[in-house]
Amino acid sequence: MAAELRLEGVDFSYEDATPILEKIDLTVPAGQFVCLLGSSGSGKSTLLRLLAGLQFPRHGRLSWNGQPITGPSLDRGVVFQDYALFPWMSVVDNIAIAIGKAQPKARKAERREQAEACLVKVGLENAIGQYPFELSGGMRQRAAIARALALRSPVLLMDEPFGALDPTNRARLQDLLLEIWETEVPRKTIVFVTHDIDEALYLGDRIVVLGSTPGRLIADLPVGFPRHRERRALFDSAEFHALRESIAETLAADTLRQLVAA
Amino acid sequence: MSETLTAPPRGTPVAGVPGDRQPERTASAPRQAAFVPSALLAILQGSIVWIVLLALWFIAAKYFPLGDNPLIPSPQRTALALQESLPELWEGTLSSLSILIPGLLLATLLGIVSGIYVGSSPLLQRIFFPFARVAAPVPPTVYVPYAIAVLPTFKLSAIFVVFIGAFWPIFQNTAAGAHALESRYRDNARILGLNSHEFHWKVVFPAALPHIFSGMAVGLGFAFILLTVAELFGANAGLGRFVQYYADFADYPKMVAGILYTGVVTYLAMSGLEAIKRRALFWHR
Ligand SMILES: Nc1ncnc2c1ncn2[C@@H]1O[C@H](COP(=O)(O)OP(=O)(O)OP(=O)(O)O)[C@@H](O)[C@H]1O
Ligand SMILES: [Mg+2]
Repeated sequence: MAAELRLEGVDFSYEDATPILEKIDLTVPAGQFVCLLGSSGSGKSTLLRLLAGLQFPRHGRLSWNGQPITGPSLDRGVVFQDYALFPWMSVVDNIAIAIGKAQPKARKAERREQAEACLVKVGLENAIGQYPFELSGGMRQRAAIARALALRSPVLLMDEPFGALDPTNRARLQDLLLEIWETEVPRKTIVFVTHDIDEALYLGDRIVVLGSTPGRLIADLPVGFPRHRERRALFDSAEFHALRESIAETLAADTLRQLVAA
Repeated sequence: MSETLTAPPRGTPVAGVPGDRQPERTASAPRQAAFVPSALLAILQGSIVWIVLLALWFIAAKYFPLGDNPLIPSPQRTALALQESLPELWEGTLSSLSILIPGLLLATLLGIVSGIYVGSSPLLQRIFFPFARVAAPVPPTVYVPYAIAVLPTFKLSAIFVVFIGAFWPIFQNTAAGAHALESRYRDNARILGLNSHEFHWKVVFPAALPHIFSGMAVGLGFAFILLTVAELFGANAGLGRFVQYYADFADYPKMVAGILYTGVVTYLAMSGLEAIKRRALFWHR
């Protein structure tokens, strides 16, 4: 039984039968941080929904640690761009409900205590009793991350979690995520969807590029920069620029191919 | 609504997260400064119809007198009649409420519970919607004579009729709200592994609350209509009964006083519901 997230020959289409994903083969070893890039509509969110167990493939197999993915599971936490929280619950209740599911035996006071600890971890100690509508986008995403952490899932699926944030907040949350991921033992397996090549290179161990119509893997690159990365130094390095260029070219070629086909 | 949402800052500013800004709260301050004259203006504008109607009433009572027993009693006479009848009206209110409240509570409870479950289940929708589509639009007033004839006491039949009138709008709106649950909340519930009970009452129910309150407002209106209609048929007390009784005796000042009083009671009930709604939906943008 391999500790890994695995997709084998996955085909997917919605009801209208237009192929969305075609023959996806991908193996993500446990503890790896994979970034998924691809032009808009290439099927990144769909792939993530399949991994989450919210959707099922037409053909092929998805598994985690050898167990087929048959539905959502607390093994796999999900963070979406802006919809992680229930607006009618306070921030701490949003986290506590997740803790209640992850640890059904925990008492109410215990849940709340742990929820508060999760919020402190993401720097939201002053927003504990607030409601999502009272928070800025950055704070909401922090809460979403806190909730995913509360589930203690070994796998984290993130769909453009920082896509709606301003650059400052974005960088701050990237660092927060890396800090949490790097200090946890064992490390979580993360699949992180983004449109931002810099973000993918800064965060990932590996970058997978999805081509469009239908979505298939068109590139799979290791990102070898040592961990505890230094943002400025990394962004200035020649290796970084070379990788960035090559990925940008891959994406541009895919877009061009799509245009020609259309 | 947005005023009440943005105005009171909760807790302390977030010092631990520099750069993460709270949503703009200061923006409402200058608007509040400009609020005073516009509020006065709004009250003035809102009073126009009242003032015109009152003036027309004075004029009509003065220039179209119809002998000793005018069909249009003057405002003064009506006010006097109102004052005189207050104890009787209060008793009538209690009697009416003892019908309205049980019928409305039952309709709210059953309407919400069934609406939540039916609205979130395609199977239950296929079973119940074909029936509801036929049964709901039937004007509930047609049940009044039958209910009075069939049920043992007038009170029971009136409660039943109020229930029927309020139930359908509450059920239909709740079911529509549950049906319209945003898929992100559904996904969220699935990802967290919520069980059926948690899904229905911690997710579907709060998400459907805006719809539920619309249904309750319609239901409350229907409840008052049916209450007064039922009382016209067979009550020996109550607001509708009061109006009918004095109409039978051609005591128009008291009758008009009863109409005005009933209007005030209805308005207060609606305002109460509105206040509850604003509290319950504070999180709703
Ligand atoms: N519920 C749905 N029913 C039918 N087609 C859908 C549905 N959701 C998405 N699609 C289609 O599937 C394709 C892939 O969508 P998906 O959201 O996975 O793309 P994406 O790579 O995440 O795009 P983006 O970068 O814009 O988020 C698109 O062509 C989209 O139109
Ligand atoms: Mg997407």
